[in-house]
Amino acid sequence: MADPQLQDLRQALRAVVDPETGHDLIAMGMIYDLRLDRDRALVTMTTTTPGCPLAGFLRMGVETALRAVPGIREVAVTLTWDPPWSPDRMESPRPRP
Amino acid sequence: MPGKSLSPWTLGWFGSAVIFLLLALVLAFVCDLGPGDWARPQALAVVHLFTLGWLAQVMLGALVQFVPVLTAYPLPRPALALPALLATGAGTLALSAGFLGLDGHTGMQVLFRIAPLVLGCGFALVAVMILPSLARKANLHLIEVRMVLIALAGLAGLWTTGGAMVLTLGGASLTVDLAQMLPLHMLFGIGAFLSFAAFGVSYKLFAMFLLAPETAGWQRRWVGGLAAVCAVLMLAALAVALSGAFAAPIRLALSLPALALCGLYLDDIRRLWRNRRRPALEPNMAWSRVALVFLGLSAALLPLAQWQGGRMAEAAVFAALVGWLSTLTLSQLIRITSFLTWIQVFAPLIGRRKVPVVQQISDRVTASRALALWSASTGLGVASLLFGSHIAFRLALAGLFLAAAAIARELVAIRKLWHLPVADRPPCLPPIIRPSVHPLSVAEP
Ligand code: HEM
Repeated sequence: MADPQLQDLRQALRAVVDPETGHDLIAMGMIYDLRLDRDRALVTMTTTTPGCPLAGFLRMGVETALRAVPGIREVAVTLTWDPPWSPDRMESPRPRP
Repeated sequence: MPGKSLSPWTLGWFGSAVIFLLLALVLAFVCDLGPGDWARPQALAVVHLFTLGWLAQVMLGALVQFVPVLTAYPLPRPALALPALLATGAGTLALSAGFLGLDGHTGMQVLFRIAPLVLGCGFALVAVMILPSLARKANLHLIEVRMVLIALAGLAGLWTTGGAMVLTLGGASLTVDLAQMLPLHMLFGIGAFLSFAAFGVSYKLFAMFLLAPETAGWQRRWVGGLAAVCAVLMLAALAVALSGAFAAPIRLALSLPALALCGLYLDDIRRLWRNRRRPALEPNMAWSRVALVFLGLSAALLPLAQWQGGRMAEAAVFAALVGWLSTLTLSQLIRITSFLTWIQVFAPLIGRRKVPVVQQISDRVTASRALALWSASTGLGVASLLFGSHIAFRLALAGLFLAAAAIARELVAIRKLWHLPVADRPPCLPPIIRPSVHPLSVAEP
């Protein structure tokens, strides 16, 4: 059974939405790793492309959303493009028409 | 700081370009232009308000905004964007006024002579801004980056041919053979500069908007190689023409790689389309398909246009400038303006409160109707040029103007967030043409 606080963190990330697609960052497959180290949340995330003008904002959004989770005092977000994002990472890709 | 990759003048370029588009269409209508009229001074003015004021400005503005996305490397001198915008705008006005002066207004002759210099400054400033990011070793393997670099070589060829013709028409001691220079000028402008840049940018944009894998297949490598072949042939033809020798054989030989290049590009985009993860198309992508059809049509007409000239050439140029390049630009302009506006107003609120998605700030029905009218009018325009119908061409011009005006209004609506419920709009909006992120404008309502 997963750590309930980790569940809370995931839930918080579900509220951070990629404005292009309307999908949250977990559904987009942009969250590569999410860990809890006592009251510290550690996230490794990506964006659809390294030059994405939204990258800084999404990172800030993730920080803000996680910091609002009760019991979290610190959030460390690492942005990476290695491996690069690809649409195959999206949750339950919809079938092609 | 988030948002630093946004160029502060992108919407200035777009706004200026849209004003030039409307001006060109009004002037074409008022001057009663039609099939066979293209050598008239008024036609030359209209053609350059359209090609330089509308298409080139929107492309240069898009490159300044987009090269950092393409290369993941910020522009080293972003402050040059404003002088570049002013120089290209002023140069376009001077050139067009100069063309009108060919009718005998001596006052306009000065403007005609200085126009290439002013335009050249604008082009050079953009090149200084984007070349350092493009030419980085880490990016040179990307076909999209190579296409934009080839497009810049095309821009240099365009300027050289245009400048040489201006000197000749302006009565300078340097004269070139206009009959040789003009077809090359059009190939540089429409093909090497505008189309190759559009190919490069569209690979990335289409993949992003369709959520399609970006992997480059053999088609894309061939597209890059053939674009280089075309550019080399054009530059060779230019050198031959400037030396006074006959360049037509090289120009005619160019049709073959150009046709193959367009065919492979279209096939590559079809592959991207089939692998997309976004089944429902938004208007920008739905109407880009019409642009791709016009690309195919103008490429198919190219050999005939080169061989026969006349109506075929008029129709091919119209299909390329109005059908392919403008339909693509207008569809994407709505989407990109929405995206930039969204970033400016709502991006700082991500994770803090529920924010609308980008699609909500534009109206797909308005956009689709306007793009449908644009596309239908373009089809009518191509047919009227092929069959030499003046009245049908005027009808097409009227349709194009109405469509462009509707899109201009939609762009204002997007900037002003008119499509959002009042409660979702921030209390004060950022200025209409400056997309820098204003923390004050995003104060929680
Ligand atoms: C993307 C940019 C451009 C495109 C697509 C373009 C396209 C064209 C086209 C289609 C024509 C033939 C028009 C007609 O016959 O009515 C033309 C003519 C001409 N262009 Fe451009 N042009 C561009 C930029 C320039 C620039 C930058 C200059 C000057 C520096 C220039 C100078 C001229 C001149 C002088 C002619 C008239 C040639 C003659 O009378 O035979 N153009 N251009």
